[in-house]
Amino acid sequence: MTLFIQQLFNGFALGGVYCLAAIGLTLVFGVLRIPNLAHGSLYMLGAYVTYFFLTTVGVPYVAAIGIAALVLFCLGILLERLVFRPLQNSPHTHHMIAAIGAMFFFQAVAQAIWGADFRRMETPISGSLHILGAEISAQRIVIIVTAVVVLALLTWFIKRSIHGQTIEATEQDRTGAALVGINPSMVAMLTLGLSALLVTIAAGLVAPINLLSPTMGDSLNLKVFAIIILGGLGSLPGAIVGSFVLAIAETMTSTYISSAVGEVIAFVVLVAVLAIKPTGLFSKAVQR
Amino acid sequence: MNGLKNPRVIGTLVVLLLLALTPVVFGNENYIMRVVTVGLCSAIAVYGMNIILGFTGQLSLAQGGFFGIGAYAVGLLTTDYDWSFWSAFAAAVVGTAVIGYLSGLIALRTKDEYFAIFTMAIGFIIYLTISRWESVTHAHSGVNNVKFPEGGGILDFSTPTAMFYLVFVVLLVTVYITFAIRRSSVGRTLLTIRTSEDLADAIGVSVGMSKQLAFAASAVLGGVGGAFYATVVGFIGPDAASVDKTFEFLMFILVGGMGTVAGPLVGSMIVTYLFEFFQDFQAYRFIVLGPIIIALVIFAPRGIVGYLGGFVDKRNRKKRVEAARSEANSKSSAPHDTTDASASTHAERTK
Amino acid sequence: MNSVPRRVGRPILATAVMGVLALTATACGSSGGSDSGDAESVVIGYTGPLSGGGAAYGENVKVGLEMAVDDLNKDGLEVDGKKVTIELKSLDDKYAPSTAASNAQRLADQDKAPVVVSPNAGAIKAIQQINNGRSKFMISAYTSDPAIVQSDNPLTMMIPPNFESYAKPFTEQAMKHGGKKLALMGTQSEYGQQWTKSITDAWKKADGEIGSDNSIDYATVSDFAGPVSKALAEKPDSIFVGGPSQPTALIMEEARKQGFKGSFLVMDQAKLDEMGTVTKLKNLTNAVGVLPVKEYEDPGTQDFLKKFAEKTSKDKVATSETALNYQSMAIIAKAIELAGTTSDPEKIRAAIPDALSKVDDKYKVNGFPTEISDQGHLKNPELEATYLNDDEKFEKFPVEQVSDSK
Repeated sequence: MTLFIQQLFNGFALGGVYCLAAIGLTLVFGVLRIPNLAHGSLYMLGAYVTYFFLTTVGVPYVAAIGIAALVLFCLGILLERLVFRPLQNSPHTHHMIAAIGAMFFFQAVAQAIWGADFRRMETPISGSLHILGAEISAQRIVIIVTAVVVLALLTWFIKRSIHGQTIEATEQDRTGAALVGINPSMVAMLTLGLSALLVTIAAGLVAPINLLSPTMGDSLNLKVFAIIILGGLGSLPGAIVGSFVLAIAETMTSTYISSAVGEVIAFVVLVAVLAIKPTGLFSKAVQR
Repeated sequence: MNGLKNPRVIGTLVVLLLLALTPVVFGNENYIMRVVTVGLCSAIAVYGMNIILGFTGQLSLAQGGFFGIGAYAVGLLTTDYDWSFWSAFAAAVVGTAVIGYLSGLIALRTKDEYFAIFTMAIGFIIYLTISRWESVTHAHSGVNNVKFPEGGGILDFSTPTAMFYLVFVVLLVTVYITFAIRRSSVGRTLLTIRTSEDLADAIGVSVGMSKQLAFAASAVLGGVGGAFYATVVGFIGPDAASVDKTFEFLMFILVGGMGTVAGPLVGSMIVTYLFEFFQDFQAYRFIVLGPIIIALVIFAPRGIVGYLGGFVDKRNRKKRVEAARSEANSKSSAPHDTTDASASTHAERTK
Repeated sequence: MNSVPRRVGRPILATAVMGVLALTATACGSSGGSDSGDAESVVIGYTGPLSGGGAAYGENVKVGLEMAVDDLNKDGLEVDGKKVTIELKSLDDKYAPSTAASNAQRLADQDKAPVVVSPNAGAIKAIQQINNGRSKFMISAYTSDPAIVQSDNPLTMMIPPNFESYAKPFTEQAMKHGGKKLALMGTQSEYGQQWTKSITDAWKKADGEIGSDNSIDYATVSDFAGPVSKALAEKPDSIFVGGPSQPTALIMEEARKQGFKGSFLVMDQAKLDEMGTVTKLKNLTNAVGVLPVKEYEDPGTQDFLKKFAEKTSKDKVATSETALNYQSMAIIAKAIELAGTTSDPEKIRAAIPDALSKVDDKYKVNGFPTEISDQGHLKNPELEATYLNDDEKFEKFPVEQVSDSK
């Protein structure tokens, strides 16, 4: 039972990470209708930039994540402007390849700047809590709490603020949004920037419990895609539910069956769900 | 658009002829022969991808997985079970056809991005199976000493030149099949599906079955490419089935030109050369290659073959316009031939 | 043709693309004959992972080779009466065996390299398909998997000790400091799985008890807490861990945090001192592993460490990947000198037994080999491993080497 509770918390922490990464990706899909395969490398860059400000510059942990998130926000805008904008009239295959090109580029740049060696990011958050016999480290609790707070802020931003509402409007009806005077290219840039910002927060939180390396985004990339497809492309609640479902499925199967099963489970669940409901759990009407 | 007067056909023939001459020039350069032959194996798989992508507009990202299945079928059967290459090859074809058909049953229920990512998940499951099922696939230890194809005493396929021509002939058959499909009623059906699935359905085209067949055919070609890859390289590891392989194929298609006959071949050769050429940059090569890839899809969205085809179209149009003018009855330029996939690719799904 | 924008940029781009292609074609065509202009140098090839997940490992090997080439060229090398400089040419294979074989073929064909270094068992097996037929070149094989010498390839030189030698002494030490119950938490790589098997056999032979296999892929797991909790739930006395040093260190740290008190058995891929760069050495105590380079007492070790510190950043630890390739490069150079040829790999390979006793002392840094087996395995009969005790001191113990045959 202790093991179960322990793993449940580990699953929630993992779900929080997936969630922060998946939301950005699904937003980008909803607005720009592109599967951004470079998302994992934005996560990786976010972690390295946080590391740079924390270790090399020496600002406090939370500030380092904040600055890195802003840096990545700008990078996301640049990515939209330089790579995806010129492709806005191309089929999504072209976006995929362009995103892969960007991914290669980001990884090579990170390796050129920070080297291929693993790096460790120290965190000021230490200690752990005992809950029902399970030992939960403070960093993981911070991850869960931050995920919830960021989700709440994001929902507020999209539902209440004027910029956020333009995102939602564009997501729901692009032509309609353009007709009422929303500038679609501004929204596109804002969305990609926002997704890079969110994924940086995820990276800044996970980096201390894992290691930094130029390829750290690769394994996350595939999983996050599985999540947003499972939840229904472009759907925020779908991404949230998908993240926690897959994270808990992953920890539980690797605990009670085997680690190899834990690794494929995300994709097996995905195949099963899509076989029954081909547009994901929370699909919305597909925009044509 | 008939026969040898069509610049596209001529272009394709020139590319093939140049390739056929490779061993004459580089016969003793083992390295070049190897790289080109491996490139041809990939090209076979890429043609498979082209069937489903270029003709129906659906992007299948499971191709790396099917490539791996073909490679491992030949690899494992010729070593652990001591089959001959050709019987193992037949097994690879049947195996990928069955697995392709079955995964198509579920995959084709989805569309567009769902289809792409769903097939990517299938590819990833295949990869994980190969890399984890140790008792059968030897996981990361790989399969060593894959047999050469038996030449029946007449031909010795262990020489790079003979191997090259074998793969080349298989590739020619593949190209011919692609070409034939495009001309056949099935090909037209597929193109109709790409233009508008609802329309195709409405005018009585059996959409489901056509797509299903296209998907299985595309999987089989992936398996064939993998089968020859295994014998050319002699050693295979799980990376033969990885998702990276799929993206490599996708890059070949886009650089060459989607939906064109010569595109996948030209793309495979060019990207392979680019990757080898930039080897001298070592770890930094992707700093250069990444932006090149992005630039290619932005500035040559129809690929190199599509780009060259653009010139042909322009010339044709000019001719037609002039012809029309001279008739002094300017009803203006004719609409495009629907089979002309290379030209209309670009407009796909922009609506 | 509804929308074809950017008419203007196209001709420029087309020219650029064609230019690159033309360049490529000429580069491929011409480099084949480049050996004639520069007769005084010999290329030693290296193909390893320089980008992607294995890049750190590939770089470590490369640094060792570069350091050796610098030193050897400073000393001067004389082959058949002529002065010859060594040139190291490195290519990236991203850890993919087929790419590694293409690279090796390229190094042998176009750069006329008589020797190609490769640090990965899969790649070496793929290269062994081509190095003793139409092309001939020697493989300097940095892998401890004995399968590569079992294939009887006459042009293979295996550098590190056979990993199977470690299983028995490691088991004895771990049981002594821990207990009879072992949890398996090695990495899911080819090599990790071979280790897991080897340790499982040795542990059972010593009447130990083994829990379920908790192997995980160190490269893809984003949080080690879950797998560690699971392994600890079996209440083991010892845990087998190992993969790249840094994630291994994190797993050990997590296990200690979750209250594990027993001993660790650390696979040779992970180096205890390198692990000390990402976590406190305190978390790594009570562990059995391979001996750090700095604990060796070979004549050249101290100078080597000094040079290594100058060449790389301060916080980097010299590992056996760097050190063993450093000394094996010196062996290759000496063999080239003794064979009197830079182009005949068979003669070079035949000169290696002689070369071993003639290599300058300064190149002996990490248990320098004194013999080479008939199958091509370099051996130092006095192999040692280490136990990191509670006082954070490295205690040495001898390792008896097992035979390489199956």
